Amino acid sequence: MPSQQVTGSAPVRAARLNAKVLLAGLVVVVPLLAVLVANLGRDPHSVRSPLIGRAAPPFSLAPVGGGAPISLQSLRGRPVVVNFWATWCVPCFEEHAALTAAARTFSDAQFLGIVYEDEESRTQAFLAQHGSAYPSLVDSDGKTAIDYGVFGVPETFFIDRDGRIVEKYVGPLGRATIATLLARSKGSSP
Amino acid sequence: MNGFSAACAALLAIAPLAASAQAQSTPSAPDPRLGAPRGAPLSGTALDARTDEVGSLLRCPVCQGLSIADSPSTTARNMKAEVREKLAAGYDREQILAHFERSYGEFVRLEPRMRGVNLLVWLGPLAALVGGAGVVTLFLRRSRPAASARHDGATPSTLPARDAVPDDRRLAAAVRRVRELAYGWPGGLPPQPPATSS
Repeated sequence: MPSQQVTGSAPVRAARLNAKVLLAGLVVVVPLLAVLVANLGRDPHSVRSPLIGRAAPPFSLAPVGGGAPISLQSLRGRPVVVNFWATWCVPCFEEHAALTAAARTFSDAQFLGIVYEDEESRTQAFLAQHGSAYPSLVDSDGKTAIDYGVFGVPETFFIDRDGRIVEKYVGPLGRATIATLLARSKGSSP
Repeated sequence: MNGFSAACAALLAIAPLAASAQAQSTPSAPDPRLGAPRGAPLSGTALDARTDEVGSLLRCPVCQGLSIADSPSTTARNMKAEVREKLAAGYDREQILAHFERSYGEFVRLEPRMRGVNLLVWLGPLAALVGGAGVVTLFLRRSRPAASARHDGATPSTLPARDAVPDDRRLAAAVRRVRELAYGWPGGLPPQPPATSS
């Protein structure tokens, strides 16, 4: 008896089942698609730094070629631009000119380079060849780079007069960007 | 009383040892950002093993999905050195993970913490498994009674009796001949059970 009933209503039942399966499929697929579409424009490698708005990690590092260590603490009261770079990094070379020019223009701010995973001799040769308007510091054990959560070079941190990180910029900086971000780090503490 | 004094004596004996161990294996000053060390300072093979263990929980920021324990990169090496230093100073696993999280964000943890949206990662697969099992059980339950009912109803009526032959005379003769050859039944007829005859 039941077998006859099943064969009789088979097409109807199949259609109803399909609608159910479709609904279940949509419930699974639509949120997944929404997440994918929402993140389509996002760079998966860019992770927002948790340091923004926080006190900049302190450091006291010797400049390339030797000399007295420069500490971040001693620069309190001036906006500081900390640029992590290396001679093996091509974009760093591109932004070097912009940073040097900006350091000359904005003399009220302190620009600092921190050498990331590079040999001091090569850095010294690079600076001798291309010149620099600001000191570059040696971070031999990479501790400062770790403290700043550096993923690669170039990365630049804009620190306000109170020693708080206002902005982190990943990638090579142009003059206009430096001016904008520096104004922001000055503006936060009038 | 005896046990208590023995415990006191043991504590007195250990105290200077512990103090000297603390003094020996803290080469760098405790990091004020990490607070007071919550664990015991490590050294030797215990330190090596623990460095690997904590290192395997930290993501190498310059690699693709590798832990700093597995990565040969300079960044990973520097981070491992820092993990080692912190373990030697007596910081525990959670303090060290939190230290790296402060600069790199939760991204640096290879195992996301069990809270908030992350619960989806931990409980999602489990929920999917349970849900899937539920769906499968439902389907099995729904299809089994129908199948067994059809089977029970079909068996006696569709299987022919042992001595049944087709209506067609020629076909019936052929069937009997085959039965005679295959089963050794004389005339193609099944042997009568002896119990019923007497």
